[in-house]
Amino acid sequence: MTKTLFAAALLASATFGALTPAVAAPVAYKIDPAHLSVAFIVNHLGFSNLIGRFNTASGDVSFDKDAVEKSTVAVTVDTTSVDTNHAKRDEHLKSPDFFNAKEFPKMTFKSTAIEKTGANTGKLHGDLTLLGVTKPIVLDVTFNKDGVSPASKLETVGFSARGKVKRTDFGMKYGAPYISDEIDLLIEAEAVKA
Amino acid sequence: MSDLLHDPFVQSSLLPLLVSLLMVGVLHRLKRPLAVAGIAATFLVVFALVVGLPALPPPSSMGKLFWASAAGLALGVAADVIGARGRAAAVCLAAWLAGSLVWISLPALESVVEILTLLVLLAVGAWVAFGRHPGHSDGPTAPAASLLALALAVGSIALIGSSASIAQMALALAAAAGGFLLWNWPVERHAWGMSGQAALGIVVLLAGVLALFTQSQATVLLLALPALLADRVRRYLPVPATRFGQAAGAAAVTVAAVLPALVAIGAAYTLSGGEASPY
Repeated sequence: MTKTLFAAALLASATFGALTPAVAAPVAYKIDPAHLSVAFIVNHLGFSNLIGRFNTASGDVSFDKDAVEKSTVAVTVDTTSVDTNHAKRDEHLKSPDFFNAKEFPKMTFKSTAIEKTGANTGKLHGDLTLLGVTKPIVLDVTFNKDGVSPASKLETVGFSARGKVKRTDFGMKYGAPYISDEIDLLIEAEAVKA
Repeated sequence: MSDLLHDPFVQSSLLPLLVSLLMVGVLHRLKRPLAVAGIAATFLVVFALVVGLPALPPPSSMGKLFWASAAGLALGVAADVIGARGRAAAVCLAAWLAGSLVWISLPALESVVEILTLLVLLAVGAWVAFGRHPGHSDGPTAPAASLLALALAVGSIALIGSSASIAQMALALAAAAGGFLLWNWPVERHAWGMSGQAALGIVVLLAGVLALFTQSQATVLLLALPALLADRVRRYLPVPATRFGQAAGAAAVTVAAVLPALVAIGAAYTLSGGEASPY
């Protein structure tokens, strides 16, 4: 009798155990440099808005689909890769007037919190380190899609981020406010399962 | 008025010239041996107005340049107040300049090229510190002309190389030296002293930031170095000891100092492919 009860309990435990959904854990992804765009828009003397980009960046995403708030993002941008489609201007942007790329070759972003605002949108809070100065910023993030990419056959997540940064907060004062202080940031990224 | 003060041309020429004329004049009234300190003081004032007052401790080379320059000015003023002269004063100046150069250069010392650049800068710093002792019997025109020429070279080469802040600050230093020269022309009124030597040191620091942290053609600055021989030119100039002779001699020394700077600027312009205005 005791044996029968024990067997029944074991069976029940195994059955209910199988039916209980597994607790999802954050999954590690690596940002795909081939599908990463880090761009910025800056107002030039009120005449136009100039678009520039960084050609080299890398990063990691820890993505928890079931509890997005638990996800994390860390991105490193190579400031020497700044590109505005004009060699002389890029040289100036790399100089101590702007990114001071020799002294500060990296700009980093490390998330501190994610706040869900909609079914596939959220606010990504994090610390941006630029020119040796770290300040909190907030990016509006749209989670675009996850699944196996038909191109790479790899588990992929894609997201877009938009935000604004006041460059003078980081000590980048040259030309402000004529060359706008507030910079628009545009990030488009895909990350593949590590 | 605000627009005028924000004009880069005014910020690097007229503004520092006027501030220098005022500073040197005020210091002339307060304590005449300190009048030359007006050059470095003008540089710091214009730096704070144009670039902003850097944080302390400074995170970047430009911030280090400001605070190192402020330390040099303080050292120069202290030495001039107590009347420090000769080799001991020169050693103090050399220690300040070498320490500042190493401090500024440290983040850039990644390859042999940067280490060699630092060694060249240290050698030029030693020339500045020991080449002309503070309290030298000659007047202030020759070293001030050397400073004007070197700062002009650094500023123009920075401008050609798309480093506007360094260009503006170096040209402001040249304008400040110009203000001091005006005070001392046609009659030399002031001593050069340690404060003047510190201003010469600041131009070496500016050259260091330009050479180590930008893609400018800073190597051509070597062509401007003969400007440091201006005081020797002065000694050999056959000018009469009259008022007119002194005025003409001062003008000739200034022109002689500026010539190598113009050669260096011309070389930088040629190497850049003849692009004066970057964009």
